[in-house]
Amino acid sequence: MKQLRHAGLCGLLLMTAGCAQYLVVAAEPRYAGQERDRSQVSIAGGTGAAPPQIIASDCGPGEQLAIVRVTRNFGEGLLAWLTLGLYAPATVHYRCATQPQPGGGEINTSGDA
Amino acid sequence: MPAPWPETANLKFAAAAKPWENWHKTVSQAFAGTYTPFYPPTNPDTNAQILIDCAKDIQVAIKAAKERKVRLRAVGSTWSLSHAPVTEGVVLDTSRLKGWIKINEGNLDPGYKGSAEKRPGLFLFQCGTLVAEVNKLLESDKWQRSLWTSGAANGQTIVGATSTGTHGSVMDFGPLHDHIVAIHLLAGPDKQFLLERASYPVLKPAFAAAIGATPLRDDDLFNAAVLSFGSMGVIHAVVIETSPRFLLRAETHAPVAIDQDLRNLIATLDPEKHPKLKGKGALNFLQVVINPHSKDAMINAMYKLKWDPSHVFDYTLKEGKIGPGYDGLSVVGEVLKLFPGLIPSFFKLAQGTIDSATKTATRGEMFGYKPPQLKVGSGSVAVALTDAVKTLDLLDALMKQHPAPLVFGCRFVKPSPALFAFTRFPTTMVVSLDGIFNDQSVAFFAKAAETLEQNNIPYTQHWGKVNSYTKARLDKAYGANVGKWLDARKQLLPDPADRAVFTNAYMEERGLAG
Repeated sequence: MKQLRHAGLCGLLLMTAGCAQYLVVAAEPRYAGQERDRSQVSIAGGTGAAPPQIIASDCGPGEQLAIVRVTRNFGEGLLAWLTLGLYAPATVHYRCATQPQPGGGEINTSGDA
Repeated sequence: MPAPWPETANLKFAAAAKPWENWHKTVSQAFAGTYTPFYPPTNPDTNAQILIDCAKDIQVAIKAAKERKVRLRAVGSTWSLSHAPVTEGVVLDTSRLKGWIKINEGNLDPGYKGSAEKRPGLFLFQCGTLVAEVNKLLESDKWQRSLWTSGAANGQTIVGATSTGTHGSVMDFGPLHDHIVAIHLLAGPDKQFLLERASYPVLKPAFAAAIGATPLRDDDLFNAAVLSFGSMGVIHAVVIETSPRFLLRAETHAPVAIDQDLRNLIATLDPEKHPKLKGKGALNFLQVVINPHSKDAMINAMYKLKWDPSHVFDYTLKEGKIGPGYDGLSVVGEVLKLFPGLIPSFFKLAQGTIDSATKTATRGEMFGYKPPQLKVGSGSVAVALTDAVKTLDLLDALMKQHPAPLVFGCRFVKPSPALFAFTRFPTTMVVSLDGIFNDQSVAFFAKAAETLEQNNIPYTQHWGKVNSYTKARLDKAYGANVGKWLDARKQLLPDPADRAVFTNAYMEERGLAG
């Protein structure tokens, strides 16, 4: 049983060993909608990439980004290792940021019942 | 080929490219697509016409769903950990609707009973406004107001949080939805109401007319709609009352022994009963987090302070608090599932990250931005204060039998008039079962409810967290209020086709789809 547990732990460590994760988040994030995922490949240490860049064109008008997360799973890490980093896939996850809160107003009801 | 979903200049439809997920990625559901109503992109100051236009766009979406016999559910920040906001139909993403209106004295109904302190502090917020944005705006030098209470973080939208019963742990106030005194409800594709309690009128009928709504004053309808998790239409905006601005001084005491002093504190909420709190004055906020793995506790106590004009605001997320990783909890959850014996060690390690420095801040700064975490597990049981100690003993015994990576966060809330307020006891102790989302946690959430039932302890559960509600359990917990809630839904949505639009599996499983 103990051996089985050790084997399980080793397997888990192996599965996560090639993984990596990087996160950038706005200091006062205004998350909008669902997280988007895009696969990205860094070729030859970043001198090439496919696709060349990710344009967050699916955000709404005037919207920026609230959070960007880059993850590399075991398979992606293995590919990068086998190719000595020449072919390094990762997945980019991002959420759009809503526009800043608009100014407030008032509604004039004086004089009404 | 089916007709395309109608759009307008500020209403866009996108077919689903992948399953919908909640913020913490613990709930996933295949769905048809997302309707997103946008605030006018030039971002003008909010006025009555903008509210009318946004409501019109939402009703275009409702009409389209109704004509196609597809369900529709409004969602905010998708922070709920339950399936309350989930639909296999169309998601209405309200996150871009953040307009707000300052209610002026001329808008107030002559019958408004709010105190002189409350009269200058009424605001209308559109549904997508984040609690963070509400706090920052209210607490500014311009408005000098505060929320009386809030949840532990600020990323929810004001309507998402209130519609699922988000609560704090404030000694003299109910849950967050008790701030609300008027609701702009879009009840189907062609009806909209400005809903108030008949016993507590706030706005002149002319205000409702100015935003294109019909004034409707009825206690039961209001008390049903205010906590209805998207089941009675779309809540486009809410009007809230607020407090004059104040500061909070927070103290954290950890580790604290789980001894008779702590039991007395929990049983009475009297700070004089515990040596760490004795002689420090009246509590504004109290939370006791019991760690059943390390057999000790943490006390978070907060005291209300008068406003200090030299206070420097800082709402920002701090870099040092990013960690142990965005979804590190999912990996930890898997490890602990394989090796439940590691649970106490994990919590001992986590304890080292507790920041016990005394802090003075506004409510918005105190309960501010949190490091984004995935795979957070959270369920709850809520009981009367008189059953608090017995409940914690039962949960502790249950944890021995069924270890799970969870702690017991005890929060204390005053009752609310909302029909489905789970804070319904004279004082409610909400035990938030917080930790890592894995199979052990989910099993523990279910067993916690069963254990209270077996011991004849009346209890409720948080609508927005993992819960085990069934029709029988709702009837037992809420009694006649279930019938009143269902009647209210039929009055607000008399057309069965409209009710069908605002139905989801979460409601069906709980006998609320009638």
